[in-house]
Amino acid sequence: MYNSLTILIAKVLNFFAKILCKILKKDNGNMLGRIVKKLNPNILEYLKIDCPVIAVTATNGKTTTNNCIRYIIENNGKKVVSNKEGNNMETGIITTLIKNCTISGKIKADYICLEVDESYVPIVFKKIRLDTLLVLNFFRDQLDRNGEVESLILKIENFLKTYNGNLILNNDDPNVARLGQANKENKNVYYFSVEKYENASIKQKEAGEGKFCPFDKTKLEYEYYQYSHVGKYICPTCNFGKVELFTEIKNVDLENMTFDENEIHYNTQANNIYTIYNFAGAISVAKIYNLDAKKSLETFKLNNGRSEEISINGIKTFINLAKNPTGANVSLRTLNEDKDEKELLFVLNDNPADGLDVSWIWDINFELNNVSRVITSGKRAYDMAIRIKTSGFDENKIEAYTNIDEAVKSLYKTEVKKYVIANYTALQPTRRTIFSNK
Amino acid sequence: MGAHLANKRGGRMKEIKLLYLYPDMLELYGDYGNIQVLKYRMEKRGINLIIDKYSIGDKAPDFCLYDIVFAGGGADNEQTILSEDLIRYKDNIKDAINKGVFFLLICGAYQLFGKYYKGVEGNVIPGLEIFDYYTEAIEDRTKRCIGNIVINTKIGETETKVIGFENHGGQTYNIKTPFGKVIYGNGNKFEDSEEGFFKKNVIATYLHGPLLSKNPVIADYIIKYCLERKYNEKSMLNELDDTFENKCREQLINSFCK
Repeated sequence: MYNSLTILIAKVLNFFAKILCKILKKDNGNMLGRIVKKLNPNILEYLKIDCPVIAVTATNGKTTTNNCIRYIIENNGKKVVSNKEGNNMETGIITTLIKNCTISGKIKADYICLEVDESYVPIVFKKIRLDTLLVLNFFRDQLDRNGEVESLILKIENFLKTYNGNLILNNDDPNVARLGQANKENKNVYYFSVEKYENASIKQKEAGEGKFCPFDKTKLEYEYYQYSHVGKYICPTCNFGKVELFTEIKNVDLENMTFDENEIHYNTQANNIYTIYNFAGAISVAKIYNLDAKKSLETFKLNNGRSEEISINGIKTFINLAKNPTGANVSLRTLNEDKDEKELLFVLNDNPADGLDVSWIWDINFELNNVSRVITSGKRAYDMAIRIKTSGFDENKIEAYTNIDEAVKSLYKTEVKKYVIANYTALQPTRRTIFSNK
Repeated sequence: MGAHLANKRGGRMKEIKLLYLYPDMLELYGDYGNIQVLKYRMEKRGINLIIDKYSIGDKAPDFCLYDIVFAGGGADNEQTILSEDLIRYKDNIKDAINKGVFFLLICGAYQLFGKYYKGVEGNVIPGLEIFDYYTEAIEDRTKRCIGNIVINTKIGETETKVIGFENHGGQTYNIKTPFGKVIYGNGNKFEDSEEGFFKKNVIATYLHGPLLSKNPVIADYIIKYCLERKYNEKSMLNELDDTFENKCREQLINSFCK
């Protein structure tokens, strides 16, 4: 009774919140979930879920991949409930599910697909049944909030010890692949991989984790690195790294944005290796549920600051989110692979949601190819300027503005192609300012 | 870069040799940035910085042959592996410190140079016992000293504020000569008044950020110290354009130390 009452209250609240948000032109985020959790901490256990529950977790690429899976499911004519705005902690997930359930707590959908913050996987799925978990990667991210990467992996490993559902793992990330051995009884472990692409390297270009075998501490031997510590590796002692692949993406062609998987040719809109990995995960989910992915990936648009390409008064502008060194390195790779002259705007904040510690910017590889000007902005604009100047980029071509309006104004003084990279809380204000410049 | 390498006065180019310890293991929080800053500030002044790396499995280095030894912070399980390795060089390291080689030790490396590190489960990682401080992890695993930190330090003749970021569970005790007095943040222990360990040729600290990026005075102290020791002459470093550094410091000190 109390459970239904909570839902009823939540629905009423949500009704008014919607109106209020429309007036204020603001997103209400996970407010509803926060209130509901206060009223009824066990609400998730009460929900009646009959359909498959799919979850995506990773350091990078959760939102893109989750949206991609949702898109595939919808294109196959099914109804899906998903936290598509990226509210991925417990309260965000409560918000999504409460909005989509009946007063009796039943969720009417063919699938639920959720992106879940790494540290919330054990918490959320203690309360709701999980059928498929997709793990993409583990990188350094907001170390001051999450603790070291290792403790995060251990949390998920611990959860997996008693998990028998489908587990889809990126075999090219040793931090992820190791999870396949958390529960030796689980027969539903699926690995995916992406074949060596043209810009893979023999030496590691960017800071990464996972240099040692998690089982016997032997140094891992890499045949090549795709990016960061993602690549083809093996432990010479125990053969960790060698598995039977469920999904293997081949013939990656970033220029023409195509690749092959299991003799199917995919035309997509992905121009970076990192998105190809996200797609490999999404394709694996599709294969498990017998859904067609080819058509969906052809039209799946990457947006909302995640590899977004726009035109501002005829000036080509690429906007990318980078919350950690790996995210930034991938964006800079795309920038460097573009031969044209360009200018870079890097916006860095240190709000609690970003992580107060900005030292991760020193793990970014700042070799810049044909960049004629760099502008830094955000609360930590000067830290960023120092970082870029120390990498050898001419300090006279760097401008720093803590104010984003000034930064964007200066950016569009020239007509050179723009690359914009912003971290978490910086992204939307940066986008808004750029769009208002139109 | 090539242009900087040529010595304008035509004399033999000055050269500083740095040993970077365990780059593949001790490299949390962009600690390598400290070396990049040193290199940048040396090259701007026509000094060449040679960086040698040492890690497990490499040929044993002679610490006395270097001007600077640098080591950073690492994840806990990696710290155990390398403590075993580093202890083999204990006498050589002691020798190098006595001879005046500069040691810059951040976070995990700072702890390793003390007597020991006692983990949450009571496990003890032996240190090099070069200095007589020791570190014990706080029992509550969720409690760590995390956040921006500002300390007041006197280095050489200069008094300066040092800005950084700390993130450590370990509480370091028995420090007689701290690196600085805490103005904002925690320091060696929770809500401590002191931070780090300092002697003329050793800076051991919890500050990353990385340390030298926001504190050019410290970077220049190290460079000057090494030049004077190696070339046996008073050296005046020419001023560099530190506009970004100064603005950065001003902004951060204003926001933390209101």
